Amino acid sequence: MSTSVRNRQEARSRVATRVTAHVPGHVDSVDGLDDLAHVEHGVDVLDGLHQPDKGHPHHRNQHPLKRVWLFLISMRTGLWIILLLGLLTLAGTLLIQATPEARADEQAYAQWLAGTPSERYGGWVGILDRLGLFHVYSTWYFQGLFVVLSMSILACSINRAPKLWRVATHPRTSMREVFFTHAPLRATIDLPGDVDSAAQQVRDALRGKHFRVLDGTAKTGADVYGDRFRWGPFGTVVAHLSIIVIMLGFVVSATTGFKDTDFIAPVGVDVPVGHNTGLTAKALSFTDTYYENGQPKDYVSDLVLTKDGRQVARQEVRVNTPLIYEGVWFHQAFFGIGVDVKVSENGKELFREMVPLKWQSNDGQQSIGQFEIPEKGISVYVIQAASGQVLKELPAGTAQFEVHKDGVENPLGWPVIDQGDSIDVDGLTYTFERNRPYTGLTIKQDKGSWIVWVGSALLIIGSYLVFFLPHRRIWARVRSNGDGTSRVMIGAPLKRDPAFEPVFKNIVSSIKTSDS
Amino acid sequence: MLTYSQFAFVAALITSVLATIAYFWAMSAGHRALKQQAPQRQRVRVGDASDDLLDDDLADIAVPDAPEAPRYSSMSAATLARFATRLTWLAIAFLTVCLGLRMAVTGNGPFVSQYEFATSMAWGILVSYAYFEWKYRARTLALFVMPLTVIALAYAGTQPTQVDPLVPALQNSLLLTLHIIVAIFAYGAFAVSFAAAALDLWTPQKWRHLIPKPEVLDRLGYRAVVIGFPLDTMVLVLGAIWAEIAWGTYWSWDPKETASLVTWLIYGGYLHARVARGWTGKRASWLLVLGFASVVLTFVGNAFFGGLHSYS
Ligand code: HEM
Repeated sequence: MSTSVRNRQEARSRVATRVTAHVPGHVDSVDGLDDLAHVEHGVDVLDGLHQPDKGHPHHRNQHPLKRVWLFLISMRTGLWIILLLGLLTLAGTLLIQATPEARADEQAYAQWLAGTPSERYGGWVGILDRLGLFHVYSTWYFQGLFVVLSMSILACSINRAPKLWRVATHPRTSMREVFFTHAPLRATIDLPGDVDSAAQQVRDALRGKHFRVLDGTAKTGADVYGDRFRWGPFGTVVAHLSIIVIMLGFVVSATTGFKDTDFIAPVGVDVPVGHNTGLTAKALSFTDTYYENGQPKDYVSDLVLTKDGRQVARQEVRVNTPLIYEGVWFHQAFFGIGVDVKVSENGKELFREMVPLKWQSNDGQQSIGQFEIPEKGISVYVIQAASGQVLKELPAGTAQFEVHKDGVENPLGWPVIDQGDSIDVDGLTYTFERNRPYTGLTIKQDKGSWIVWVGSALLIIGSYLVFFLPHRRIWARVRSNGDGTSRVMIGAPLKRDPAFEPVFKNIVSSIKTSDS
Repeated sequence: MLTYSQFAFVAALITSVLATIAYFWAMSAGHRALKQQAPQRQRVRVGDASDDLLDDDLADIAVPDAPEAPRYSSMSAATLARFATRLTWLAIAFLTVCLGLRMAVTGNGPFVSQYEFATSMAWGILVSYAYFEWKYRARTLALFVMPLTVIALAYAGTQPTQVDPLVPALQNSLLLTLHIIVAIFAYGAFAVSFAAAALDLWTPQKWRHLIPKPEVLDRLGYRAVVIGFPLDTMVLVLGAIWAEIAWGTYWSWDPKETASLVTWLIYGGYLHARVARGWTGKRASWLLVLGFASVVLTFVGNAFFGGLHSYS
């Protein structure tokens, strides 16, 4: 692109003819299509962007279906949907959102609301809650907007694609004279030869710039049309449909497959994966390493998968390297220490499992786990000193068992047991067998993600097509001057594509200089 | 090496401040020069009105309407503006050295701490601006771009600069590096579009004749978004891929994710506003300002929101 003043003056003197890029009184020539429509009335093929004026009385009398259609294809609709989505998403970003656990049941939710939200938003909590603003992304109106968005996008694409197709494959090849006197980019050149040779010069110049050249249908003289990147505008169609593809992927992800964010694999113990996978997972080891300053460095689970008793996969699973087997992903998510517990009654085993110490006491001094023996109405908290904490009443190598029974207010007992020892509480024998590390995995099967990736690729490709391969079109009108010379008028729209202007000038000057 | 990196940082900060001063000085020199030549020449414009993007060089201000008219002498706006440009390049060079050395020390991209990320942002803003200045000679954009850069650098300067090792989730160098590098360019482009919009909205009447016409600013803003928007799309997609690999969910409505989505939607809205009639000009400019506010929110939001990104 010629950028300096001097270049421009040079260009202007090289092309002795008038090359201008200005439509008087029409500042917004960003959209060449509209400019042309403005210049050449009834250029319907070019007038792809023409928006029906909804306020127009003519449209108010439309059939309701037609009105829905007009609503859906309106740019204004599209714009408002996008901005509204932005606004709601912003609300969801700024206001704290309830976790799925908090929304699991009404009681949990009420408790959650009374916590941080009430502290932070005071009297506004009620209103915000009624508006659903603590779970914006699952409200009916947020999801409804996505539905309207897809419908609108679909309608826009259906509406536009045929027009783009016509412009690409059957472009209008002749323009009336008024176009050439008003086009955003225009030039007039007198050439010495007759019409045929002048037209040929135009064609050569266009082809020289890799333009496709089509001949128009002039009765006297010749019309020439040239264009380049005629498939670029389909980028909008691709970009728009890709949004629908992405949303489809979200829906597929949400409605199929599974996600288990709380899968605990005690080291050395087989754990069925469930979800009809027929898989069993076993962590052979879990290692956490740290930098000198105490920051975590690496979390690694050596994971083995078996199916029907046969080992089918083994991998070191790290935070950024999940194990993937038959579409099921195993992610390193968390880890901890558990206590192997055995409970028996008169020598008969009632319970034997690792109890993960998933929680911390509020003061951070104790790690706490819990298990239940439903048939006995028993619920037990297992407590140890948190790692790095030294507690007098709970020394390393011991665990406290706080035994509760349904319908009894106070605990039945809270003995502290040494590793390997047993203790009786209310007729049951509790054994602290040993400590055992566990690794926590997120296991998921997502059947929609590849759709999302395809959609994303289309979205990126589509927007690059639109922005960087803009359809460039030039019309030329060659007429005899009657004295053996010909007059060539050239015009082009400037479709939000400033880089076209120097190309245009270039073509004009190569027409001009090829006459020698 | 880290010490030299720090030196380069300070040098970049000082150079940016100087460049900012030089740009403003050039502006006011141009203003005075024009006043002297008034009343014949109000706004000096070379060529056709819609030579637009080519037509807003501060240096051009010193070039009078008619080629034969005399240039004014003394410390001209053109000289100052050229000087400011050199300073900008110098600032880019210093920042490149600063970030390069730091990368050599840490062995990963410069985006782990707020300090690194803010410095990278400043680098991205400067590079985007330099591209626009080179391509469209739109020097007046500097009046907003340079202060932004200085703010970003000053903010970086208040952040701890020690090198922390990478926590496990960040140890996906390829994806993370791409994600952030693309983000830096996208946000840089958005900063330029912000400058164009800000010039359009907030230039006092008195200075109006010095800046490009609203249509030109409008197109500059648009060009910047055209570069930034597809990049921003890639930022979202790369982030989603990374989330899928690290956490098993490509999209979890995590605050930082949603903040980036807001940004993306605003610029998407802007593009449509541009295509729809009646939404160019001031309203489009406001959308650009809003979009950039959202970029800033996404960036500083880290500190406030928590969520999956909070360790970064
Ligand atoms: C989030 C959803 C959407 C995305 C990502 C998107 C993307 C795009 C992009 C990248 C462009 C090109 C803009 C330009 O050339 O400056 C565009 C143009 C356009 N969009 Fe959308 N769009 C979306 C939603 C919609 C909706 C809902 C409608 C319909 C109401 C719509 C109608 C249009 C139209 C008519 C154009 C101009 C097409 C042309 O110039 O050929 N878009 N869109």
